[in-house]
Amino acid sequence: MTNEVTLLSTMKSEWIKFRSVRSTILGMVIFVVLTIGLGILVTSLIHANWNSPGSERDHLTFDPVATSLVGTALAQFAVGVIGSLFITTEYTTGSIRTTLAAVPNRWKLIIAKTGVLKISMLLVSEAVCFAAFFIGQAIYGNMNTTIPDTLSNGADLRAVILGGVYLTLLSVIGFSLGMLLRQSAATISAYVGVVLVIPLILFFFPQSIQDSLTKFEPSYLGREMMSVTPIPNAFSPWVAAMILVIYTAVLWVGGILVFQRRDA
Amino acid sequence: MLKIDHLTKRYDDTLALDDLDFEVKPGVVTGFLGPNGSGKSTTMRLILGLDRPTKGSATINGKTYHELKAPLREVGALLDAKAVHPGRSARNHLLSLAASNQIKKARVDEVLEFVGIESVANKKVGGFSLGMSQRLGIAGALLGDPEVLLFDEPVNGLDPEGIRWIREFFRSLANEGRTVFVSSHLMSEMAVSADQIIVIGRGKFITQGSVDDLTATAHGTVFVRASDIHMLTSTLTSNGAEVHEINDLGLTVGGLTSDQVGDLAFKAGITILELTPQRASLEEVFMDLTADSVEYGGGKLGVTHD
Repeated sequence: MTNEVTLLSTMKSEWIKFRSVRSTILGMVIFVVLTIGLGILVTSLIHANWNSPGSERDHLTFDPVATSLVGTALAQFAVGVIGSLFITTEYTTGSIRTTLAAVPNRWKLIIAKTGVLKISMLLVSEAVCFAAFFIGQAIYGNMNTTIPDTLSNGADLRAVILGGVYLTLLSVIGFSLGMLLRQSAATISAYVGVVLVIPLILFFFPQSIQDSLTKFEPSYLGREMMSVTPIPNAFSPWVAAMILVIYTAVLWVGGILVFQRRDA
Repeated sequence: MLKIDHLTKRYDDTLALDDLDFEVKPGVVTGFLGPNGSGKSTTMRLILGLDRPTKGSATINGKTYHELKAPLREVGALLDAKAVHPGRSARNHLLSLAASNQIKKARVDEVLEFVGIESVANKKVGGFSLGMSQRLGIAGALLGDPEVLLFDEPVNGLDPEGIRWIREFFRSLANEGRTVFVSSHLMSEMAVSADQIIVIGRGKFITQGSVDDLTATAHGTVFVRASDIHMLTSTLTSNGAEVHEINDLGLTVGGLTSDQVGDLAFKAGITILELTPQRASLEEVFMDLTADSVEYGGGKLGVTHD
């Protein structure tokens, strides 16, 4: 066992590759700065305007957790790009051939690559979401709200944890699209299409169709996963998470089947 | 040992490899010669399991590439030196390869030093010249200390000093008993660096042998100067020789050996002034062999030589 290509040895190799390029590091920095920075901005604005005239309506729908995690709405692009580039650069640089010469078993390679991506993204995403949550709640301070805002509240803890899960799954969606499309630009376009353009198009649909379809959008599923106040026409957070897991799994398996069959 | 067994590869409607069948033996440098587009790189890719053969197989010591437990320890390959992420340092590139096959980190520094790029090991590969990239590729091929080594067009981009270095390097690998398989479209390069040569054209096997064997199969010519050139010409042609060139200096004769030419001249009472067998160069042999299989041949200009 000591001299073989194992799943663990392949993961070590992929970890070296993942952390040794600028796109990963830069993407992570953008991800962290956006999520925490935007959280600080939005929570500070809400806090500063809490008692301004006309804010009563805000009070009704106020979600202290979701507003502190609002940065994830932008961060989802950073994580998608990180996931995409992790596989597409193998093709654009041609290094996929070197990689496959070292690890000929394609399932092993993709499972290792996805494993490295998932573990790193989950660790960073959870850290970032918890940081954004705590900073946001600190900014809200002892603001007089009716909603408890500590992690001892199960719903809060669930929303923050699922925030990290959401971003991790999105990076795997980016990765899976990359397996299918192989080119960086095409993959990132497709990813933006899934996350941003589909909701935009749906927005112009008749309300009845919107109501039944919107809740299936990946980004809407993310909102459902991260909110502690009920959202209209939405799945429960755990169901939303399951649906997103299914999307990710289908794309990932599709990607791996194509990758398996294709000449490198 | 590397065995190519009735290997066939079809891409859509192009037959890239057509029933290729040969063996590459250890202990010698084997050149893999063919014009551009003849299927050399395709063969290399199939050996490494990157593409799926349509028919047949390529095996390394009896195993397909996919059956190797730690491929880098058995086969080292340099296919495309530029196929490395340009943003990664040379050392990290090699470290990632080493990690996958559980090769010790110390080996990375060893091969970096061996190919002479240890001073730029922490620099991004994107800034490397083609020659430096070739050296990095060779370092990667050597990483697992493999018995079988494949190099696809390794001298491309190397300076003369680098070319000499790589020739000696191939030779030393073969002398250690390894199987060294080197593709090239340059016969002049193969003539000096390879012991055995396999020639393919348009995906088909053409011939195989030592450099000497190959040049011997081609009909050499004999250059002869004599007291009476015209009489010699008629004597030789009446004995079935082809006289290619006649000028004031002498004749170039094909179809007869120098012994036969000397004999005939003696019987006809012609004084021979000079008699030189001329061996065909490997280059001529190669052109001859692959004349029908050049994928992208240049058209002839308006000048013919014969």
